[in-house]
Amino acid sequence: MGRGGISFGMSAMPADSLNPAVNIAAAYAQRLLDSLGLNPSRPLSAPDRHPAAAWAASGLMELTGLADGTAQMCPAPVAACADGALAALASLAPAQALDGLDGAQLLAERAAIMDLRRAGAISPGGACRLYQAADGWIALNLARDDDWSLLPAWLEVEHTPSADALPILIAARGSQELVERGRLLGLALSADQAPQAEAPAWCSITAEGGRRPSASGYAPRVVDLSSLWAGPLCSHLLQRLGAEVIKVESADRPDGARRGHPAFFDLLNAGKRCVAIDPRSATGREQLLALIASADIVIEGSRPRGLRQLGIDAEELVRQTPGLTWIAISGHGRGEPQENWVAYGDDAAVAAGLSHLMHQATDQRLICGDAIADPLTGLHAALAAWASYREGGGLLLSLALNQVVAHCLAFDLPGSEAALRERQAQWTALARRSGVRAPQARPITAAAHTLGADTEAVLTTLGRAC
Amino acid sequence: MAVALKAGAKLKSAVCDTQLMVVKAPAGEYDIRCGGLEMLAGTATAPEGAQLDPAQAEGTLIGKRYVDAEEKVELLCTKGGKGSVVLNGVAMSIKQAKQLPSSD
Repeated sequence: MGRGGISFGMSAMPADSLNPAVNIAAAYAQRLLDSLGLNPSRPLSAPDRHPAAAWAASGLMELTGLADGTAQMCPAPVAACADGALAALASLAPAQALDGLDGAQLLAERAAIMDLRRAGAISPGGACRLYQAADGWIALNLARDDDWSLLPAWLEVEHTPSADALPILIAARGSQELVERGRLLGLALSADQAPQAEAPAWCSITAEGGRRPSASGYAPRVVDLSSLWAGPLCSHLLQRLGAEVIKVESADRPDGARRGHPAFFDLLNAGKRCVAIDPRSATGREQLLALIASADIVIEGSRPRGLRQLGIDAEELVRQTPGLTWIAISGHGRGEPQENWVAYGDDAAVAAGLSHLMHQATDQRLICGDAIADPLTGLHAALAAWASYREGGGLLLSLALNQVVAHCLAFDLPGSEAALRERQAQWTALARRSGVRAPQARPITAAAHTLGADTEAVLTTLGRAC
Repeated sequence: MAVALKAGAKLKSAVCDTQLMVVKAPAGEYDIRCGGLEMLAGTATAPEGAQLDPAQAEGTLIGKRYVDAEEKVELLCTKGGKGSVVLNGVAMSIKQAKQLPSSD
């Protein structure tokens, strides 16, 4: 795969969704493989369905639109891109490893399990919402209860505003200042932006180390430090490819998803060994470094400064550890200042232009899907991780939620607003014919391990005291 | 000189890089210092020859929230520096990190 500080995904390849001969998911899979400089080890096999049919079948259409209005099409082939990312991964994977998985359907699994519904400008999960500022729209995601305590400082008011007062306070202020102040405070928010016509990289190499001398041929060990959805989905997919996954959590700040819907947590985390450490103690940090040293692939979704405060420097570790693949998932990418910005799946998709696109196509202000940047990034991250591992590792690969969505949006974007609206009408009609389905989830077959259930067993094999 | 601390107000150290934003503070007047000297509000500039007091140089970390003993006053560090943050003569401490969200 390409090396030398390059970014993946800059190649221009025409896609033409109006040409029925083109399988958009397969074209997208090929684009991803080309950008990695890899050839599939088996023939690419992507579902040959129209992007509109993929959107309608995935459950995403049901999740998008006004609560009391009709389900809405997305005029970009986002669901087909999910199919394509999964197909690209399958083409590099052991035979049949991903059989039975449906890439587009993965994007709506959480909504299926939690029975989430579309709610217009509010995310199905309820935490993210589009607000009108004095000069434009912003998305604000108050995912943590504690975020509300930051609102007086954000809006320079004396008391925490009620949910009803919030739109009024926001409407009085400029979007740029709101976004800047909010990011300083650690709020997850973004301005509503138009999608980029030129695709940004979906993945970039930010550090390189030596490759592993012998070719891959054994089950890689994945040490997963991430939480919520994108990172855990990435390691879950790698597990399907035969990887041994160790989920590492802070004992006093475990993956917040443990407090979320248990079935969704089980779906993503069953079969992973669970290790709990205290990253604030010297012993805990030593255990963490030993776990990382034993890994072929590390997955994390932390802000770099958070890891550095624990004495973990991803760039340095990749340079020093031959064969290590490090997947860094962020909201807006590495580098100052954006590596400090907090983002979640819904607001990152707004930053990528998804809600802007929906407004152009429907005249409605809509959040699209359920935290859609999360599972979309998890799929792409699994491909990046597996591709690097297969080629001997030695790479720090950075994926940003907003850039992955932006890459999908730019893949087959109509050139004008008129063309966008024409496509919206055609694709909506096509979706109605092909069938709009509710979100679906795979059955839950096993429970995830409890926090730290495998700490002793895992650390003992590393020769570390617990 | 005592100052009022309004939510959202920005303070900067007179002697190091530290910058803080007021997250919350009950109404009243406060003596807020960093590195031994009173912090500056708005466009105020440091007095000539101002220097970091070596005894007040614990340092501040970006992203951390500094609280008083009762957690009534809370200041977010938006830029780290070398000084210690002292409120009404008492060093402020770092608040426990926020719980991760259960979903987004």
